[in-house]
Amino acid sequence: MGDMGLTEVFLNESREIIGNLETDIVTLEENREDQEIINRIFRYFHTLKGSSGIAGFNVIYEFTHNLESLFDKVRSGDIAVNSDIIDILLDSIDWIKDELFSEGDLEDAGKIQAELTERINECMGFEPKVKDKSVDFLSEVGAYSGVGSSERYFKINAVFKEDIYSNGIDPLMVIEDLSNLGEVIVSNVDQKKIPDFYKMDPEKCYMSWEILLKTFYDEMKLRDVFLFVIDDNKIEIENVTDKYAEVKEHGYLTEKKLGEILIEKGILNDSDLEEIVEEQKSQKFKLGDIIVQKGLASTKQVDEALQEQDKIKKRLEVSTVRVDSAKLDNLMNLLGEIVIGQASLHRVSEDMDEEKAFLLKNSLYGLDRVTREFQEQIMSIRMVPIGPTFDQFKRFVRDTAHSLGKEIKLKVEGGDTELDKTVIEKIGDPLKHMIRNAIGHGIEVASERVAKGKPSAGTVTLKAYHQEGNVFIDVIDDGRGIPLAEVKKKGVAQGLITEDENSKDKILSLIFSPGFSTSEQVGDLSGRGVGMDVVKTNAEELRGTVEVKSKEGEGTLIRIKLPLTLAIIEGMLVKVGTSILIIPLLSVIETIQVKKDDYRTVEGKGEVILVRGEYISLIRLNVLFGIDAGIQNPWEALIVIVESNGERVGIMIDDLIGQQQIVIKSIDNFITTSRSISGATILGDGKVALIVDIHGLVEEIKNN
Amino acid sequence: MYENNVIKTAEVSRNEEVKQYVTFLVGEETYGVSVIKVQSINEMVEITHVPKAQSFIKGVINLRGAVVPVIDMRRKFNLPMKEYDSFTVILIVEVKGRLIGMIADAVSDVVSFPVSDIKTNINFSARVDTSAIEGVGMAGESLIILLDVDTFLDSEHLKESC
Repeated sequence: MGDMGLTEVFLNESREIIGNLETDIVTLEENREDQEIINRIFRYFHTLKGSSGIAGFNVIYEFTHNLESLFDKVRSGDIAVNSDIIDILLDSIDWIKDELFSEGDLEDAGKIQAELTERINECMGFEPKVKDKSVDFLSEVGAYSGVGSSERYFKINAVFKEDIYSNGIDPLMVIEDLSNLGEVIVSNVDQKKIPDFYKMDPEKCYMSWEILLKTFYDEMKLRDVFLFVIDDNKIEIENVTDKYAEVKEHGYLTEKKLGEILIEKGILNDSDLEEIVEEQKSQKFKLGDIIVQKGLASTKQVDEALQEQDKIKKRLEVSTVRVDSAKLDNLMNLLGEIVIGQASLHRVSEDMDEEKAFLLKNSLYGLDRVTREFQEQIMSIRMVPIGPTFDQFKRFVRDTAHSLGKEIKLKVEGGDTELDKTVIEKIGDPLKHMIRNAIGHGIEVASERVAKGKPSAGTVTLKAYHQEGNVFIDVIDDGRGIPLAEVKKKGVAQGLITEDENSKDKILSLIFSPGFSTSEQVGDLSGRGVGMDVVKTNAEELRGTVEVKSKEGEGTLIRIKLPLTLAIIEGMLVKVGTSILIIPLLSVIETIQVKKDDYRTVEGKGEVILVRGEYISLIRLNVLFGIDAGIQNPWEALIVIVESNGERVGIMIDDLIGQQQIVIKSIDNFITTSRSISGATILGDGKVALIVDIHGLVEEIKNN
Repeated sequence: MYENNVIKTAEVSRNEEVKQYVTFLVGEETYGVSVIKVQSINEMVEITHVPKAQSFIKGVINLRGAVVPVIDMRRKFNLPMKEYDSFTVILIVEVKGRLIGMIADAVSDVVSFPVSDIKTNINFSARVDTSAIEGVGMAGESLIILLDVDTFLDSEHLKESC
């Protein structure tokens, strides 16, 4: 993260925390007793408070302090979670978001803060500070947990992350807090990991502690001491009152996980596992092997469990590895340079004598394989699961549904589907529009739904999945569907289609036209006619497409199709006149030659060619792009048939040069107004070639 | 001319800020761009034409792996076109984090001006929108129009000026 400023780090971190908070709070509303979520929310507020203090956001610091106090009470069970609290929390988060991320000064910020603070205090029972103290006092003397209970012994094993100091936590303080709770009987500091002096990084923590503590408190109280470190660090607390003198060796952490997974799946039970672990100690075999050997589970089951374990590990890594995204972009750019360099070597090989060319080409193919794999690896780093993006809409759905008096459930499927991070960043807005539409237009109010024999609560489903090198994102609602007749009427009235248009798909696709809305009244939410066209433009910016399917009375599905990656594509190099252009291979159906008889000019429609009984438009790129023309007669040229959104056109070219990986370099949008160009790339000989945007090209031709 | 300026610079540098400009020729006129803004001066390379671009945008070039737009200063200033020759250069300038190439007839010098020698409030009819002119400096006998590339090559500015 090197040169990122403190403020920036704080803002990034806060954005993440706030996103998590929103999701958790909405989940909390549904599961009001879930102690885990309550604890998590408390921790989030605490972290937010801490880092805002460090970053100098004092207003946020004070405010989150209040929230933290409020949640402390929820945590200790003094206050039950109710809808008031949920509302306060959500409003507070809104305020924090405004305060942190809105540009310019907000006029009412102070007022809103005061109001919120008052509401928080009200919730806590008017005199938060005084009461706070008394509670602390009582628990400190053990009024709640400790009284009457006898002495307990705990073995605590605390292994901290090396970079714990960078989180602002000093392990020593934690250990000291712990020793305040009772008497430390044994304290072993493991110093094995401390490196040689000249290799030691003074900002890292190399030590771990093993402590035997005699205390009156219960385990919960002990865990509280580790509250802020227990998630990221290896903290084990074990009640050893019965056998406190017995010091065990370190456990089988990862293996135990495998066992746990098998237990969760119902394949093993606790006693089986204990037996196996015992056996493992003596035999030194892998746990999985023993299980299979004993016939307790099949190899397949164990493998599956191991995969799951891997997944869990991976997920943990996703949440812990943090890299400045600019570094990834740089890496990608560098790889792009390598690909270009290779293309240029391929070109050199063409001018060499046969024998040498053969040798060079052979080595180049080897190199190609490696770079392809290299590319896949870098891509996989750039890929992030869409789950968090989906989850953040929980809040949005809840709020919108409430404000419209509708009952709506949000269902999320395929949250672990991975997309390029750039796509994820840009997909949020379109998703929001689609969900808003589904709630506003699609789903009926409860009474209407019941009358139709549907469940009273509507469901909006967000679904993501991979298929054929593309990512699909579906937004599905089980509402009233799109009224086809009405859309047609509007479309005809606005001159977008003719009266005799009967294709259902064409009519439905009208909803993506700018300014198109069937809603009679203009609402706060939707109906202003903006929205769906934004979905379309955004998807197209990502080189994707949108389609809609709907059945009246049953529901609507809007499907966004996106390419897996934005940086490198397979392209076809074609020659037109003296120019070399690139057509994305995904759009290419076939390359053909036409007979003179199959070529016609149609009045008002331009030139067409007959391909297997179907007339398709012929496009001359030299005319469209204003470049030198090559071959003039279509029957002498090659025709590349391309498809976009089910529409086919034929592009006339002079020659086919070849197929290669294309590194997309974007072109600033002030350079050209043409929609037929999606970017440029650098060829092996160092020349710049433009990449044809088939989708834009088809649109542009339709509009002319 | 250059040496003179260096001496002059040395004399005044103790108490005054000095600005340096790369100067280049377009038609009869000499223009200057702050050295800080100039990334490199390249010789003419093959330019790829971009469809539906404004007339003064000649196209895009490959600048060490980056695709960079180039504008023809003659076209931008509505001067008659001239064949590119061995003197023709592409000045790569950085504008708001983006690189843009400017095609000039020739590059002439690097000139230093004490800030007080740059006249900023001159009314004169230039081929450039006056908001894009930082000022005018004198180098010996010749007048140098100092361009503010941030304004001159701002993407909005480029869009509007067609």
